[in-house]
Amino acid sequence: MTAIWSIATPVGDKPATVPSAAPTKRRAGLPLLLLVAWLVVPLVPVVLWSVARGWFFPALLPAEISLAAWARAFANGSDVWRALGTSVGVSAAAAALGMLIGVPAGRALGMHAFPGKRWVEMLVLAPILVPGLGVAMGLHAVMIRLGLTGTAGGVVLVFLVPVLPYVVLISASVFATHDRAFEAQARGLGASSWQTLRHVTLPMVAPGLSVAAAFAFLVAWSQYGLTLLVGGGRVITMPLLLGQSIAAGRNDLAGVAAVLTILPGLAVLVLTSTLLGRGGRR
Amino acid sequence: MMALRPVLAAVALTAIGLLASTPGHAAEPKPFAQIEAEARGGSVNFFLWGGDERINAFISGPVAEALERDHGITVNRVGVADTAEVVNQVLSETEAGVTDAGSVDLVWINGENFRTLKVGGLVLCGYARGLPNAGLVDWEDPSISTDFGTPVDDCEVPWSRANFAFGTDSARVATPPKTMGALIDWIRANPGRFAYPAPPDFNGSAFIRQLFIHAAGGPDAVAGPFDQGRFDAIAEKAFGLLEALEPSLWRGGETYPTSIAQLNQLFANGEVDFTFNYEPTVFGANVENGTFPPTTRSFTLDDGTLANTSYIAIPANARNRSAAMVLANALLSVDLQYEKARPDVWGMATVLDLDRLTPADADRFRAIPRHPAVVAPEQLADVAMPEPSAAWVTAIEARWKETIGR
Amino acid sequence: MPVRAASVRRMVAPTVAVLGLLFGGGLLLAVLQTIGVSPFVGRFDVSLAAYRQVAGLPGLWASIVLTVWVATASTVLSLGIGVSAAVALRRLAADTVLGRATLFLFQANLTVPHVVAAVGAVWLLSQSGLLARAAFGLGLISGPQDFPALVYDRAAIGTILAYVWKEVPFVGVVTLSLLASVGDRPGQTARSLGATRWQAFRHVTLPQIRPGLIACGTIIFAFALGTYEVPALTGASQPKLLPVLAYEMFTSHTLADRPAAVALSLTTAAAGLGMILAWRSLLTGARR
Repeated sequence: MTAIWSIATPVGDKPATVPSAAPTKRRAGLPLLLLVAWLVVPLVPVVLWSVARGWFFPALLPAEISLAAWARAFANGSDVWRALGTSVGVSAAAAALGMLIGVPAGRALGMHAFPGKRWVEMLVLAPILVPGLGVAMGLHAVMIRLGLTGTAGGVVLVFLVPVLPYVVLISASVFATHDRAFEAQARGLGASSWQTLRHVTLPMVAPGLSVAAAFAFLVAWSQYGLTLLVGGGRVITMPLLLGQSIAAGRNDLAGVAAVLTILPGLAVLVLTSTLLGRGGRR
Repeated sequence: MMALRPVLAAVALTAIGLLASTPGHAAEPKPFAQIEAEARGGSVNFFLWGGDERINAFISGPVAEALERDHGITVNRVGVADTAEVVNQVLSETEAGVTDAGSVDLVWINGENFRTLKVGGLVLCGYARGLPNAGLVDWEDPSISTDFGTPVDDCEVPWSRANFAFGTDSARVATPPKTMGALIDWIRANPGRFAYPAPPDFNGSAFIRQLFIHAAGGPDAVAGPFDQGRFDAIAEKAFGLLEALEPSLWRGGETYPTSIAQLNQLFANGEVDFTFNYEPTVFGANVENGTFPPTTRSFTLDDGTLANTSYIAIPANARNRSAAMVLANALLSVDLQYEKARPDVWGMATVLDLDRLTPADADRFRAIPRHPAVVAPEQLADVAMPEPSAAWVTAIEARWKETIGR
Repeated sequence: MPVRAASVRRMVAPTVAVLGLLFGGGLLLAVLQTIGVSPFVGRFDVSLAAYRQVAGLPGLWASIVLTVWVATASTVLSLGIGVSAAVALRRLAADTVLGRATLFLFQANLTVPHVVAAVGAVWLLSQSGLLARAAFGLGLISGPQDFPALVYDRAAIGTILAYVWKEVPFVGVVTLSLLASVGDRPGQTARSLGATRWQAFRHVTLPQIRPGLIACGTIIFAFALGTYEVPALTGASQPKLLPVLAYEMFTSHTLADRPAAVALSLTTAAAGLGMILAWRSLLTGARR
């Protein structure tokens, strides 16, 4: 179990500050350069298509640059605005709910031994190991019955399945390294349990938990199959809009959708690491 | 053992509200004014294929505006990747016991999908010919009164006519083949330069039927109800032909494009020399939006290209029936049929009988301009070939999957 | 200070309830559906027809083989490249431009949804894609047909590459943190005792980060087994990957196909879980 938890920590503990042994720098350089190129190259046509018009083989670059697709995307009432709104709303809601439900469980798993702990751990891990399509298909009938298919609420609810494991596992690893002596000391000095939580516990675990929240948001943001199945075509998130543009054969619109599918996630990453960086320097 | 408890709770949840009642599916006759009054201020969920920006813009634009302005009705366009998903949704809602609060109010439909709904008693009947604008349609025209061989029976409202057409780049293929036989010869003579999408892609399926009818010797051979004996005899020939053609196809027939969008990209980039579409105005639109080269031209075959009518239908379990009827009537109006037929809007041919319109209205339709990449409507009408019945369509697709697509 | 059992129970109860209901309940309902039990309409005609239908699907075996191939190849390649990259990165001073760029890209890539990776793979790798155009410009090929079929191909190379592109940074980031927790000391000690760089890594460092890597590979394998959008966008018409096959059956207009679609998903999940468990016990067994 601890093995899987350990994968949850890296985003938080910033591997950027790795010490190094200098001598073999050059030999590692070239493969890394190739790796960087490989990581960037697939995004090149994505960006180019968003401003291209009539870009056919064998033209390496678009002959005609056009901002028509971008203009369409930002026109009033465009489906891009709507999908962006849906994506942000649904992902934020799933992340918030996931945190509310999952963090206490993370604390219990990280700090306490209790009967049945193994079962809880297994339940939390299961959604990561069992592909969700079958589960969503099973839930489909109940969701129809409850009037939840095709609604943002239904999608948020189903998103909890992939989101919760990450929230629980990350926060468990945060609390596993959390020293309770400080809380005990605060209580000993006469702080109420609310004061202890507010002034001692939260500041200590906040950086780790913000990573959990960011991760939860990103997991929800990336969902495709579950949204398609439960949303029934009526809940269109950015990934689905991208899929639709591809199905319509409009690479220019798909390019715009793809860029706008990437940017918010990047913003969350930059925001989280900036916040963490500031917290760390203090 | 803790994990068992929530599972038990789930079982309890599933036990809630069993028993689906049988759906009643004939609309009670009401004067249209009363229907309009009931619908005012409501909303309607219109499900239709969402793979074309022009369609989406037409529904979200002119259609939604007209309904809001004239009836205070909000139109929610719901784009789907495949109409089968909508049928599936109606089926599964009904299965789950949702019989009068279904999410689908109106659906763009025809062929197998309509048959599935009708056979299952899942479609609302008995209102279509009573709509005020229904008088503009020739309901006795066989291409309107039967939908892929299934009698319409007042269970759906005709909306558009579609004709299958091929497209090529005139800069690459100066004189395109004139018959199906000539096209097959061309494919053999130019290996690797032709492809068709694998079913269930709608256009790929249509191409296979086009070839099936060619192998059968014409549309008359597949007319009428499905007949296993006749089917087997033709299928042997048709699929033998397709199999023999495989080595001459794109990638030697090892794989097929999975969607019409993929075939269109192959065509645009010169990987293959032909594409096709059940909506010829697509060729004009795709030249205009830069997806196809400007020298793209569409054409028909002298021995016939498929044609069909598509409809709008109200599922029996629709929540907003009245609003759906008002929308269906509006979609059949001269103004919205004309808007839809304009190539700069959508370019889908009207189902109205021009003889039943005022001369001025009829002239509006006749004067509609045509993009140079789009084949002329008269030419399409001349070679229009009826679709075989839905059972044939299903059997052809299934046999393709068993023989070619594995 | 021992915490009362009741308060711990209160802390885990919401998670257990939500996952139990949504995940456990969904799984249970899925199973019921495949054996002909439909509680909503009060139908209890138990049969294994759905599983028989799955077994009779044309081309099922080709789909199974391809799915296992894609999941395995994606996992192995991602682990191999990701671990090598992390080791290289650790050797390089992390505050060089290249080190920082790689790290940033690793983290940025984690935020990119898989569907974007699939679209990027198609536009880059197809026979008329960016690479083919570059090859044409360099005179290496005379047309799209000369470029190797890397997407929509029967070996699903494009699908695998899309997964690997997404998972290498994941493995890289995880490995870096695992390496950081191990530290350089054990490896350096081994080197000073005469071990080669490879020997030090293979026999000293790797065993320590191994459990973390196994976990990482497990996640990738399970993900590649059950994801729809990547093979749907990059895959060939046949054979189809199992999630694509299941989704198409689930949404077909024949409601009778639906239990079979669910059965297919469940069988895939069960088989995948079985493979994961076998793989893990094999790997942990080998360590002893």
